[in-house]
Amino acid sequence: MWCLAIVLILFLSAHNSFGQISPGDLTRAHANLEGMSNCTKCHEVGKKVLSSKCLDCHKEIKALIDQKKGYHASTEVKSRECYSCHNEHHGRNFKIIRFDTLKFDHRDAGFELLGKHNTLTCKACHKKEFIKVKKTQKTTASYLDLGRECLNCHADYHQSTLSTNCASCHNNNAFKPVIGFDHKKTKYPLLGKHQAVECSKCHKIADQNGKKFQKFSGIAFSNCTDCHKDVHENKFGSDCKKCHNEESFKKVAGLTGTGFNHAKTGYVLEGKHITIDCKLCHKVSLTTKLKFSLCSDCHKDEHKGQFHKPGVLSDCKDCHSVEGFKPSRYTVERHNKGDFQLDGAHLATPCFACHKKEKDWVFKGLKKSCADCHENIHRKSIEPKFFGNQNCENCHSTTLWSKVKFDHNTTDFKLTGKHATLTCKQCHFKAAPDGTVQQKFAELTSRCLDCHADTHNRQFDTTQDNSCIRCHDFEKWKPIQFNHDNTRFKLDGKHKDVACLKCHKEVTEGTLRYVNYKLGDKKCSDCHLR
Amino acid sequence: MNKTAHKIFISTMVIIVIASLIILTYVGFNYYRIGLEERFFLPEHETLKPSGYLGHGFGIAGSLMIIIGLFSYMARKRFRRLSRLGYLKHWLEFHIFLCILGPIFVLFHTTFKFGGIVAISFWSMVAVVASGVIGRFIYIQIPRSVEGRELSLNEINVLKSEGNISDLLPDAFKDRPDFTDKSFFARLIGGYNYDRAIFKKLKRDLKNQNLTRVDYKRACKLLQNEISLNRKIDMLVSMRNLMEYWHVAHLPFAMAMMIVMIIHVIVVITMGYRWVF
Repeated sequence: MWCLAIVLILFLSAHNSFGQISPGDLTRAHANLEGMSNCTKCHEVGKKVLSSKCLDCHKEIKALIDQKKGYHASTEVKSRECYSCHNEHHGRNFKIIRFDTLKFDHRDAGFELLGKHNTLTCKACHKKEFIKVKKTQKTTASYLDLGRECLNCHADYHQSTLSTNCASCHNNNAFKPVIGFDHKKTKYPLLGKHQAVECSKCHKIADQNGKKFQKFSGIAFSNCTDCHKDVHENKFGSDCKKCHNEESFKKVAGLTGTGFNHAKTGYVLEGKHITIDCKLCHKVSLTTKLKFSLCSDCHKDEHKGQFHKPGVLSDCKDCHSVEGFKPSRYTVERHNKGDFQLDGAHLATPCFACHKKEKDWVFKGLKKSCADCHENIHRKSIEPKFFGNQNCENCHSTTLWSKVKFDHNTTDFKLTGKHATLTCKQCHFKAAPDGTVQQKFAELTSRCLDCHADTHNRQFDTTQDNSCIRCHDFEKWKPIQFNHDNTRFKLDGKHKDVACLKCHKEVTEGTLRYVNYKLGDKKCSDCHLR
Repeated sequence: MNKTAHKIFISTMVIIVIASLIILTYVGFNYYRIGLEERFFLPEHETLKPSGYLGHGFGIAGSLMIIIGLFSYMARKRFRRLSRLGYLKHWLEFHIFLCILGPIFVLFHTTFKFGGIVAISFWSMVAVVASGVIGRFIYIQIPRSVEGRELSLNEINVLKSEGNISDLLPDAFKDRPDFTDKSFFARLIGGYNYDRAIFKKLKRDLKNQNLTRVDYKRACKLLQNEISLNRKIDMLVSMRNLMEYWHVAHLPFAMAMMIVMIIHVIVVITMGYRWVF
């Protein structure tokens, strides 16, 4: 019976991997360790499986642990036995390296995944060509010996022209923009307009070694002309900074006297010329020759040739200066050397009052008579013999309009007495019924009643001119010319002392009040009490 | 052990086997149904793997059950000193119980992974169990005494005459041909066909006797016993021979299983896997 049993065992063994006491196939990586004679290569008699035995073969892991590097040296792994993660006897196809890649904390491997690295799959980095150690490269699916340097996985875009410390400029989020890079820390800090210039303008992109390449090192920068074209063609030397700075090519520092000296060009910039943009004059280029002897070489003749005199070279500077178009240097004195001298109120009159009546300034062909400028407010109210050719100066002067110098004695009505003290308008201006003031200088008679009212209510003959003069004169209203003795009633005796109003009573007729001088034939009893 | 106690005894064992199977399946269902290469990554692996707390325990428990079931029955059969200790039939039932439950535990210990030399033990165990089931079939084909001892032909005939079926149907089996001299298949198939036909006829005759329903059922039972005994007599010699041959198969498989199991246990202990010890 026993013999039968042994025969049975041998028979069955032939069909079950003879001599195999393994509890299952080893993984492909350990397939060479199959067989009874190899058990103790991993197992220690009486002590199951020892990690030290694993590390006897896996020297690369041991080296990392000893160096305290990598995941196997992390606190999470260090205290564990190898077989707790890398188990065996689960079949040829068992994945002996398998872990939850989503939950794996990459910091345990001594390399924290930052930025874009977090979005990558493990295989994007842990691939054969990125593994540093050749021996490890042969191992499929190994996570070991991956270089930590950026350039281990990333292509060197700069083709060894820059430092290998990529992190000094780039971060983990994106290759561009280069957030960590500060041009100020380079030997060539960017100033002014240089800050806004696109990088590729100076750092040219080109093909190098069959790859796109942007040059960042070995760029000459000591002279501006290393990058900029010398538009002056070396006329002002190679040191552009003497005149220009990084703020603007057009704002030439020389104009302020610190750099470019415009005087060297033969034309000294003065006044307003100092502050204007170069291009206002140098329209084509700064080096294009310009005429500058006359203002009109640059400036438009605002006066449209009014001052052009045939055969005479005149220039704006006769009247204007570089300090500004206004005020003009044309003085009153110069004006007075001309055909029309300014005096009186004309001295205080602004130029435009006469020279810019409309849109444009007019300096030529202006008429000189008063009426050419001033309105004739008298119109036809003055007789032509006193206002011939509308010559206002017969009466007025430029000093003051109201100051009239007319000699009234040249008229038919000489001013004497009180008349000489009156103002013109007391006789010549009259209020019209419509409220306006009407002037009247002509057609005035010498009749008193043309101006004066007849306060005697026509008791005396007024048909004759100046009939009032029979009694009154121009000095006083009091009728000093009147002699009562020439009347029909001669005053004598006590009558001489009697006040006029004692005999000539005041009469009121309606609204009219007057003194009655016409007493008719008087008897004593008419006045004296009987 | 009276009939009821025996029934409880059998039922308890059946329940234990079925419950064990259900519980073990329930506990490790998720683990066992996963492919071998994935199991390691399941949290249950630590306990249910063959060297795990539970898995190893299943193996030890199953092996002990098999050892006890095997050697206790062998001892009961072989040592005269133990011949008075219970009925052999009950010992066999206990042997069957332990040697079914034990392999179930061993099956779960293997985690359904059958490889290496230990697989010889496992498949031997399967063969032993399978042959045990066949053996049990042959076993019941040989009429036995209450203790389980095989009866001789005379004893069987005495047993037949103790039945009172002849009172009801005196001529029931008088025309039954003797199949004992015929070939194995003629006995098996011819006897079966004859017995089926006569059973139908006799049932009809019984119905004509106006028996009560209970008496009719009892009579039918007696008829079946009679037919069964007749058939067993037909096959007696063949079955006794088969039983002899069966022993030649059953026992070596059991021994092979034991030998390899011992080797397996030695290797495992040598390598340091000692369960809780």
